[in-house]
Amino acid sequence: MVGGQKEEYFQQLSDAVVDMDEEKAAALAAAVIERGIDAFEAIDKGLSDGMARVGVLYEEEEYFIPELLLCAEAMYAGLEVLKPHLKTNGENKGKIVIGVIEGDTHDIGKNIVKMMLETTGYQLIDLGRDVPPQKFVAAAKAEQAQMIAMATLMSTTMEGMAQVIRLLEAESIRDLFKVIVGGGPVSAAFARRIGADGYAANATEAVRVAKELL
Amino acid sequence: MLTDQMTPLERMAAYNKGGTVDRLLCIPSVGNGAARVIGAKISQFKNNGALIAKAQIEAYRLFKYDVVRIFTDLYVQAEAMGAKVIYPMDETAHLESPAIDNIADIDQLQPPDPYKDGQLPEFLKAMEITLAEVGKEVGVVGSITCPFTTASFLIGAEQLTKLMLRDPQTAHKLCRIALEANLTWAEAILDTGCGVTLSDPVASSTIISPRQFKEFAFPYLQKLIGYINSRGKSATLHICGKTNKIWQDMADTGAACLSLDNVIDMAAAKEAVGGRIRLTGNVDPSAVMLQGSVADVKQAVLDCVGKTFDSPKGYIVSSGCSLPTEVPFANIHAMLDTVRAIGYPVTNGKLAEVGAGL
Repeated sequence: MVGGQKEEYFQQLSDAVVDMDEEKAAALAAAVIERGIDAFEAIDKGLSDGMARVGVLYEEEEYFIPELLLCAEAMYAGLEVLKPHLKTNGENKGKIVIGVIEGDTHDIGKNIVKMMLETTGYQLIDLGRDVPPQKFVAAAKAEQAQMIAMATLMSTTMEGMAQVIRLLEAESIRDLFKVIVGGGPVSAAFARRIGADGYAANATEAVRVAKELL
Repeated sequence: MLTDQMTPLERMAAYNKGGTVDRLLCIPSVGNGAARVIGAKISQFKNNGALIAKAQIEAYRLFKYDVVRIFTDLYVQAEAMGAKVIYPMDETAHLESPAIDNIADIDQLQPPDPYKDGQLPEFLKAMEITLAEVGKEVGVVGSITCPFTTASFLIGAEQLTKLMLRDPQTAHKLCRIALEANLTWAEAILDTGCGVTLSDPVASSTIISPRQFKEFAFPYLQKLIGYINSRGKSATLHICGKTNKIWQDMADTGAACLSLDNVIDMAAAKEAVGGRIRLTGNVDPSAVMLQGSVADVKQAVLDCVGKTFDSPKGYIVSSGCSLPTEVPFANIHAMLDTVRAIGYPVTNGKLAEVGAGL
């Protein structure tokens, strides 16, 4: 395999994600496998690279949530083809339990954070929405996760996040997990007040914070 | 303790004419927090217009703000069209699932009958009771969840946003259905004698692009507000989150007042659209009103007033969004009391004086 050709596929995969082209991403992924190119490398330098570019476009306000969602679909279309061909699980950067806290069913933000963390190489355990504090703790223990990530859009439910941290403290396992929080009414000050390890205002920031903490 | 010298209706009328008032208008957007005033659980509001009215009337009498809004959550219309809503015992309702899961079922969606479907009749009843009780002294408004946001509750926000890019005609069709629902709801509200207030949170630039706003939210808002104006009423339009790039479009909808989120710099808004339209905002409902101290509230009100009091088309003090239920009463009182202390006409000297008393 000529290096140049490989790089060209990666570039095209990345472009397919940025261009929201689901079919093209899947077709390119199939071609990558056919030519014996390493699946992990294709995810890392192709699909993930595409999502990183999407993150930049989002921060620059070129892309908004609708574009982000369709880019993610293209990314997942490629990922589905490549995943069975991974020789290992790739580099496992860590396991993160994620969910929307109890009392809230808004989950677009959580889904986007999840997808950005996944494309960065973390393994995500998605507890969904309206998740009771106890369930975050139980899942983090059972999965031996390194991080708990909680989101909410509703100010009424924010105290549930504090409760997760109190539960961890009560079980003397607070040090086993990094806890990060985000979502509409959540602020860095709130995160500090409840004793969380980090706060992220959006998905790209969540990736930065996770990298710092893990 | 300062007391008001005018009723809210007198104040509003005088302010609108550029006349003398005792203080700036102030609307803290109390929603389900009204339940706390009468010691009710939020779930008791479900299908109970009389109780909603009682709570809102008592909350008004306690705080003496300038508009009473009959509001519990954004889902009342969508629910009447088939969306599933969860009602926790004592928290604000939230959306469980949209009216349809599959866009192929779009033809099942029908605009609701405000006198029959869901909780709509109970909300009308709440408006009628409130109007009869306090309508001679204060404006009473019903709440409309605008076409784009209602459309998102009919099919789900993720699906709607994808449809905008993949199947724009269908996205428009959903918005048209939501508009029809809004128009019949607006008609019923206006027929009670109440005014209306409009919320379109999903049309925020925090979610969709300004270009998408122009295509999928703006035309329907314009039609809705055109109808409201044709009935001789004005409308306040609230959109959460970032809105800087759509202010001009928001003003073009025909709305009389823009209600802006706490992420917005009111000075920038005044500069950009204050000459075209009245502004209201934007004390942080969470960090300041819910979690802050009385002093924090005073400071935030002073900041907002300082930035916006001289906006050419006028300014109303308010929170950046509906207040969370558990906002301490003391903080709501502090908002009103600060506005009373500032008085009218507002001057920088007066603001400095009130600030020095902190």
